[in-house]
Amino acid sequence: MFEVRSKKNKILLQLILFIMTVPYLIPLIQMVLGSLGGRGLYNYKVVWDTGVVPIYFRNSAIISAGVIALVYAFSMTAGFGFAKLHVKGKEYFFWMILIALTLPEVILLTPLFVTFQKLHMYNTLFAVILPTAALQLPFTILLARKFNEGIPGELMEAARIDGANIWQVFTQVILPMTKPIASAIIVLTLINAWNAYLLPLLFLQSPNLQVVTLLPQYFQGEFTNDQTKILAAAVMTAIPEITAYLLLQKNFEKGMIAGALK
Amino acid sequence: MKSSTYISGLPWILPALLFLVVIVYYSIISTFNLSTLDWNGLDPIRTSVGMKNFAKMLKDRVFWLCLKNTVIYFGITFVVQNTLGFLFAAILHSQVKLSTLHKCIIFIPTILAPATMAPVFRLLFSPQGMLQSVFNSLHLPITVDWLANPNSALFVLMAVAIWEFTGMSFILYYAAMSQVDKQILEAARIDGAGNIRTLITMVLPHCKGTTVSLAMLGIIGALKTFDIPYLITTGGPNHATEFLGTYIYRQGIRQSHLGYAAALSVTLLVLAIGGALASNYSKKGD
Repeated sequence: MFEVRSKKNKILLQLILFIMTVPYLIPLIQMVLGSLGGRGLYNYKVVWDTGVVPIYFRNSAIISAGVIALVYAFSMTAGFGFAKLHVKGKEYFFWMILIALTLPEVILLTPLFVTFQKLHMYNTLFAVILPTAALQLPFTILLARKFNEGIPGELMEAARIDGANIWQVFTQVILPMTKPIASAIIVLTLINAWNAYLLPLLFLQSPNLQVVTLLPQYFQGEFTNDQTKILAAAVMTAIPEITAYLLLQKNFEKGMIAGALK
Repeated sequence: MKSSTYISGLPWILPALLFLVVIVYYSIISTFNLSTLDWNGLDPIRTSVGMKNFAKMLKDRVFWLCLKNTVIYFGITFVVQNTLGFLFAAILHSQVKLSTLHKCIIFIPTILAPATMAPVFRLLFSPQGMLQSVFNSLHLPITVDWLANPNSALFVLMAVAIWEFTGMSFILYYAAMSQVDKQILEAARIDGAGNIRTLITMVLPHCKGTTVSLAMLGIIGALKTFDIPYLITTGGPNHATEFLGTYIYRQGIRQSHLGYAAALSVTLLVLAIGGALASNYSKKGD
């Protein structure tokens, strides 16, 4: 966008970029430096030796997988139905879904708390998986519908003339063609499920059901404000996320772009 | 054979719809119902109080403070975060070195959980943090206790939000700028327009759709704000960083004023839907 020809201006632009980026690094540097305070790498050993880190990671992974499975199944089918099939009063149903798009999760807390206790689902991973998926769905259905609308109807008709029923059209024509939006949906859902804080905080009580976002709190209790251990735990939580991002960079970016440009 | 367009899509949308009705709509209706009660969640007696919870809300100083904080928070983060995101996108679209590295650094904050970063920010903005040591070594007479000070705590939270979400603005502007016609920019330059002028008069208007989308995300995001204030300041000191989300949590979960929390929730929902409709309307107005 900027056109810089002279050597001096090129260096200047590079310098501006550098100065603008430094503040984004500061918290990450603070995190790593803080985690090495006091006894250095020994902090990591202490955190690891508590044995809770793998348990918290496992639970986050189960929750993310559950949420992704639900969101994927519901958004792909509903996206297809809304975009390509005949539904009476379609737009009313769609509006019902869009209204849920604005829903803050804090509103769900009391009603869900009461319901989950009645159904004996309180303090199970389902109590986090179900509402997290529900909060994610309006958005992903919207994305899936938009993407399906771009698929030419002729492709479906051709498959049907060849004798495919509607389920076969869905699995053999639609699903392969919607892969780009599906991967965006999966990545977006993964970020939100992995980073979920409030629902796990309230709906999971047992120590063996906690998730990664609750690690700092656990160590605050365990090491009574020994910041270095808390930050070591934060680094251990951040590293897999950053690694996943670097490996799937393109999908993350596509997910974000798809997520906002609707 | 019937054309696919006439095959009923109901069985395809019904599973998702029922799932949302059971979880989301059930909760919304039960929140509306709760908002007319005076109930602590345990007592078998639920007293119906009509609209009294809403009347109480309108007289509640903290409720208005939450709204004020939300407006300030949205206004400042929207301008700063999008200006930075726009500039990053423009610079990284020019021929600069190490662009992938810079992209990664700006983008990583958007994928890290606020819950993971909260202890880092509490340390960074405390007298034991890195900023304080930098100021000390430069012999600057500044004391970093910005989270404890009601006048600065909200600004710290805004800085955190900007840190977290600039990557989002950046990536969207970056995508939008890929579609700018290079020849038009070239023509403008031949006519003598400088870099800054081309950026403001040609590139920025081209990205208008992105800016509107970001405004909608920003309004809903500001109203929904919970993790950052709850985890860093728990709404304090003295409600200085209270938002509707944290206040609902405080009233409903901490103090068991379920009816009052529900009335605040209903208000929050109405504001969020209103905000979304308003920004959607402005998008169509183009």
